[in-house]
Amino acid sequence: MAEATATGGKKSEAFVLSPEKLRRQRITKFIGEGVLLAVASFVAIVVLFIFYFVAVDAIPFFQQRGFVEFFTSTGWYPADEPGEFGALAIIYGSGMVTMGSALIAVPLGISAAICLSDVLPFSVRQYAKPVIEMLAAIPSVAYGFFALVIFAPLLQNYGGPILMWAWWLIAGPFVFLAVIVVGDLLTSKGGDGSKRKIVRIVLTGALAFLATLFLYWVGQTLFAIQILSGTNALNVSLILSFMALPTIVSVSEDSLQAVGRELREGSYALGATRAETIVKTVLPAASSGILAAVILGIMRALGETMVVWMASGNSSHIPEPWFNYLDSIRTLTATIAGDMGEADQVTGSERYHVLFAMGLLLLVFSFISNLVSERIVLRQRKILSGE
Amino acid sequence: MNLGTRKILDRSFTAVGITSILLMAAALLVVVVPIFSGGIGAIFFKGTIEHRKIQYNEFEKGSRKVIDRQIAEVTPYRQEVYRILDAFEADMETMEPAEKRDYLSKYKKVRDIVAHLLGPIPGDPEPILLRYQYGTTRWEKAEESLHDLMFVTKWDYSNPEEMAKQYFVPRADEFAGTALAALFPYMEKNLDKMLLPEQTFYWGFLTERSLDAHIFGGIWAEIQGTFFLAVGAMLFAFPLGVIAAIYFTEYARENFFTSVLRSANSTLAGVPSIVFGLFGLAFFINTIKVSDSKSVLAGSLTLAIMILPTIIRAAEEAILSVPRAYKEASMGLGSTKWRTILTVILPAALPGIITGGIISLGRAAGETAPIIFTAAVSVGATIGVADVFTQPTPALSWNIYNLASEHEAANEIRHVQYGMVLSLISIVLLLNLSAILLRAHVSKKLKG
Repeated sequence: MAEATATGGKKSEAFVLSPEKLRRQRITKFIGEGVLLAVASFVAIVVLFIFYFVAVDAIPFFQQRGFVEFFTSTGWYPADEPGEFGALAIIYGSGMVTMGSALIAVPLGISAAICLSDVLPFSVRQYAKPVIEMLAAIPSVAYGFFALVIFAPLLQNYGGPILMWAWWLIAGPFVFLAVIVVGDLLTSKGGDGSKRKIVRIVLTGALAFLATLFLYWVGQTLFAIQILSGTNALNVSLILSFMALPTIVSVSEDSLQAVGRELREGSYALGATRAETIVKTVLPAASSGILAAVILGIMRALGETMVVWMASGNSSHIPEPWFNYLDSIRTLTATIAGDMGEADQVTGSERYHVLFAMGLLLLVFSFISNLVSERIVLRQRKILSGE
Repeated sequence: MNLGTRKILDRSFTAVGITSILLMAAALLVVVVPIFSGGIGAIFFKGTIEHRKIQYNEFEKGSRKVIDRQIAEVTPYRQEVYRILDAFEADMETMEPAEKRDYLSKYKKVRDIVAHLLGPIPGDPEPILLRYQYGTTRWEKAEESLHDLMFVTKWDYSNPEEMAKQYFVPRADEFAGTALAALFPYMEKNLDKMLLPEQTFYWGFLTERSLDAHIFGGIWAEIQGTFFLAVGAMLFAFPLGVIAAIYFTEYARENFFTSVLRSANSTLAGVPSIVFGLFGLAFFINTIKVSDSKSVLAGSLTLAIMILPTIIRAAEEAILSVPRAYKEASMGLGSTKWRTILTVILPAALPGIITGGIISLGRAAGETAPIIFTAAVSVGATIGVADVFTQPTPALSWNIYNLASEHEAANEIRHVQYGMVLSLISIVLLLNLSAILLRAHVSKKLKG
């Protein structure tokens, strides 16, 4: 027994660290943390490098040509001698497809996010999430191939019918819903029970008739449209909206989830339906997070290259009239991708630098919108946590 | 508002939500299904004897005996075609010059289509390009060419209000009364005997090199290039990302500096992919010159920067999801922080970290814009592992763009494009699927 204690005592001595050992440990710890910090700062350094190296190649362009031509002229003839570098039409094209994709993806994405967070039971949600992940995972060039080889010919050959069907399917339900609501609102005041009911039915019927005429008229107008080229802004906007959807859905769902149960339960307790709870209580509380989601989704569409390069038609002009989505356009990203092949041989020329100027424009834009969306999310988190 | 109306509104609200989810699923199907069915056609198709000849001559696949026997089988039918052509050529010699000139261009078209179907016509000089040395390899393409042979495509411009309409005129009418008239019914009746279509399972599409700019052959060079680029990117980004994630979760204090680093991370995640390409060109190739021009190395580095934020975020989440009790137990046993991270936290977080890595690998494999200026070439041979530091490579993503938009015969090789898109999507979706399954497994395990 005595021996055992003695050996035990010896062992425990080994656990007491000598000052020298402690110092060595502290140094190792210091170096280790230093390495970790260095690696973590690597990302920040890369961001700085990206800004620096894109700007360094972009600045010579602005030195030689100034800002006015680039931002105000629509003449894009970089290969001519002397070249013209008016990027207005190209910037407009980028904005146009981004707006178009946002118009499709934002309502769809937000309603999908609401459905995922508040409507669907958990078991169904588990199957819906992978669908969104798959949609996000498909490479952009595959979407581009789909847009160019499959969708563009369809749009060219059956453009009118496709537009008409889309109109009926999308606008139809909403218009009839509006008819019911308006009929109710108009008759909600005055009169007694049975009389009011009859007035309402008649009024709703009349409104429904007018609505059907309206739907039919627009549908026929759309049906008569002939799409000359399937590679146009509409095609690109639609495909880009597929690509922006996953971002919008997942970020807005996070933000909807962050709204506490108490708010929802309070609203239900006051007798609101689920729709009313979501629209009047949950959405306002989550609005800033949803705004951040929209900004991120829009950035995804603006920065996308392959789809617009393959399926936008790449013609540098502002469509006539300005909202004509059936016209070909050209975007910043597609111009960079398409022109660098030729401009690369003339490194140092204006043709080369103008592409970096476009890259810088995209970079600055994405940087600002990232900062904004980050601020918004932080602020929402603070408000919701009650600070 | 009326209670009934409120109920209707509530229901339709739910309906809109569910419809939007269904629409997303439909969008996924609409994109994936045609690509899938088209892509299968690159591997399963009716191959003609010309396909088997190429397989034997270029890749030494198939048996000499079978091919010899089949050639003997088709030769008499083909001889008859060549006899008709010869007879017509002899006839033309006896015609009036004006009449002859009139027939000559029309006849040339017929002759070109026959050569396209059956390979070079005997007596012609041996063509240099491989695509002219063989006839049509796929039966559905042969049927299209046969239709071109039988009918002249014309356009009806009579109504200026509408787009021109396409209509067909039998080509035999142009040669009525000449020796060539017999060719058309003969070709229509005996084309299958001249080409011997057989159901073919062309596995080599994935493992063979391309011939004559993808007119024939497979896509191995592209698959390999994609593999090199994606794996190369992971080699750089994965260790860096995991270490950075350890710093952010275990060491970083909440101060201004850390928030700047976090902002930098989300900024990097939001940079448009084409700007990564510009940066790769300006920095890796033009400034520090990792290689003289485009190379796999430069492309991998560019892709690595692009996927770094994703890896960091995924690794952070995985580390944060390790229960606190694990860490406290380890600390309570007296191990140091670093040892706790290495032996307790990282092993528990590893599946989650790997999930993030797999998704990033898929992203790197599918991305095109960053490699356009840094690594991708349209036509190229397969490269060895040793060449990755100096040589550019073809890659699936880039070649899909190139073949679909810039190839001289883009319409002729749709099956190759579909095959490539299907390969790329399969790679990416399989990677994602395995990541999803892995994650489901892990979350079950961590819950206990």
